[in-house]
Amino acid sequence: MNLIDALETLKNPVKEDAASFSVHLACGFTPLHIETFLCAQLRKLLPLRDIDVSMGIYGDFQGNLERAASTKCHAGAVIIEWQDLDSRLGIRNLGGWREKDLGDIVRCAGRKLETMEQTLRIVAEAAPTALCFPTLPLPPLFFTTRTQASELELELRKMVADAQRRLAALPNVHVVSSQAIDEKSPIADRMDVQSEILAGFPYKVKHASIIAESLAALIQPRSPKKGLITDLDDTLWSGLVGEVGSAAVSWHLEEGSHIHGLFQQFLASLASSGALIGIASKNDPQTVESALDRKDLLLAKENVFPVAVSWAPKSESVREILKVWNVGVDSVVFVDDSPLEVAEVKSAFPEMECIVFPRSDYQAFWRLLQTLRDMFGKPHTSEEDALRSQSIRHAGEFRERLAHANGDSEKFLANVDASITFALQKTVNDRRAFELINKTNQFNLNGKRLTESDWLSRMNDPATVFVGVNYQDKFGALGKIAVLLGRKEGRAFTVDCWVMSCRAFSRRIECACLMFLFEYLNVDSVALNYKRTTRNGYLQEFLTKLLETDAAEGCVITREEFQKRCPHLSHQVIIDE
Amino acid sequence: MNENDERLIRCFAAVFPDLSAQQIRNTSAETSDWNSLAAVTLVTLIEEEFGISIGMLDLAELDSFSAFERYVSAKCAAVQAER
Repeated sequence: MNLIDALETLKNPVKEDAASFSVHLACGFTPLHIETFLCAQLRKLLPLRDIDVSMGIYGDFQGNLERAASTKCHAGAVIIEWQDLDSRLGIRNLGGWREKDLGDIVRCAGRKLETMEQTLRIVAEAAPTALCFPTLPLPPLFFTTRTQASELELELRKMVADAQRRLAALPNVHVVSSQAIDEKSPIADRMDVQSEILAGFPYKVKHASIIAESLAALIQPRSPKKGLITDLDDTLWSGLVGEVGSAAVSWHLEEGSHIHGLFQQFLASLASSGALIGIASKNDPQTVESALDRKDLLLAKENVFPVAVSWAPKSESVREILKVWNVGVDSVVFVDDSPLEVAEVKSAFPEMECIVFPRSDYQAFWRLLQTLRDMFGKPHTSEEDALRSQSIRHAGEFRERLAHANGDSEKFLANVDASITFALQKTVNDRRAFELINKTNQFNLNGKRLTESDWLSRMNDPATVFVGVNYQDKFGALGKIAVLLGRKEGRAFTVDCWVMSCRAFSRRIECACLMFLFEYLNVDSVALNYKRTTRNGYLQEFLTKLLETDAAEGCVITREEFQKRCPHLSHQVIIDE
Repeated sequence: MNENDERLIRCFAAVFPDLSAQQIRNTSAETSDWNSLAAVTLVTLIEEEFGISIGMLDLAELDSFSAFERYVSAKCAAVQAER
């Protein structure tokens, strides 16, 4: 983003009733363009919020951090530069670079880092915080040539790396990757010596823009993609399995097909962190089956579901997979080596990311892996990530059995040994619950998205009632599949947020949730902060049945109505207080 | 209005969003919103827009739209001549 684009972005008015989103920017230098860029980047990511960036005082990094700790804000953005660790590591102060000073500089920097780390822990307890550690080159103060790393320089870098590692382990701290900055901003083009000496702003404009963009992306991360559909021939492996046979397709260095092995390894990594992997291939199903049975495949067969193999157009296989996954088209990526197939799928699903697998261009393949990592990357993984693929298989089996229950769904549901656990304990760092709340799926009460700081303040509010719902039956465990946030006032309960994973549909869990509110919280009515969205069709249908009329915004269900219309529930209920 | 003028007005408009093109032509250090932050931002915008480098030491003389106009014309001409 250029500075003029940033200023023009900020000129666009926000809605008068837009909720504010305040960020405290803590750094030791004059924030100048960083503030403009950060504000503009956040405006792009949160177009409905009124962004307000507050700052501290020039040259007082520690004081600015302490101000951040005591300022009530939605997020913190902290930029640390070498001079914040010791002023002699900067160029605006003259404090001595003699050989005998160097050990003292490194020791002072270490002490400063410790103090800083303690304060950062306090800052991060109050609000999610994005951190950027030094990105500027060190001044030429060490006695070695710049080609040779001195022991003291390495010691200094190690202390910084250790502090980053410790802070990155905290739940509310997000550290900017120095590798990502290195890729976008060559180190020689980062420092503006003139601007630093004359104005106290050390960055060249482009570097300032890159840092602000990185911080904003950590403050308000994009939703990760959920599933990847891959082609087989010349994509997951090299060769046409229908022509050469399952034993002859390859993915190894010796056969010159190593990138396909790397791709398999990458997909296995995505699957292990909860991404869904499906296959869409124009082939004979039996031939594919035998190739997928090969023991040397790096992507285990159980990590792939479903496998749609037929001679029909690719878009039909993709449609079949989407139906099983039951996720939004825009949360799926399709990869195929054939530009024609990619174009065909793209024309059927314009919202889907469709990418050509560059089978003969190694650099392009490397970029593909990087792009996919950015699309699927997430700050944390949860237990549910490991369960997802398996539970989708189970959900398919469940639906199939239910459909073939010959009209006796009651009997079927009564015999699945369903057990629901309602957990009431508010855990600020429950990443899965936060992830669920932000799902824009078919069972989302109002489509309202919460930022990490909105989530923190809700969870820290004593008036908020939190209900996390875990489910399992004889087909397997689904893990945490629903979250509900609300408030109880007397004998009335208001539900502000209610989201349920689509894997959990058709099990009457939504009825069990309402039953829990009426019975356990002992209320006479439940008001739903409901809003019809383009996606929450399943919820609309449920409410229409329950209310026996079209659900309106802010609809209320009374205990009597619920008892009269609630179907029979045969779940075993466990309450975890 | 020449092309440089238009580009310069766009830069000034980003810093002084409430001024019309005519008012921008008359801006100077006397204009109420013209402060050191505005001046540094203007310099950065103009450097980005014209691909030139403005010395911070020249800043003292760049105290009006017309001063910037003269400076940018001279710099651009020098760059052209070098090519």
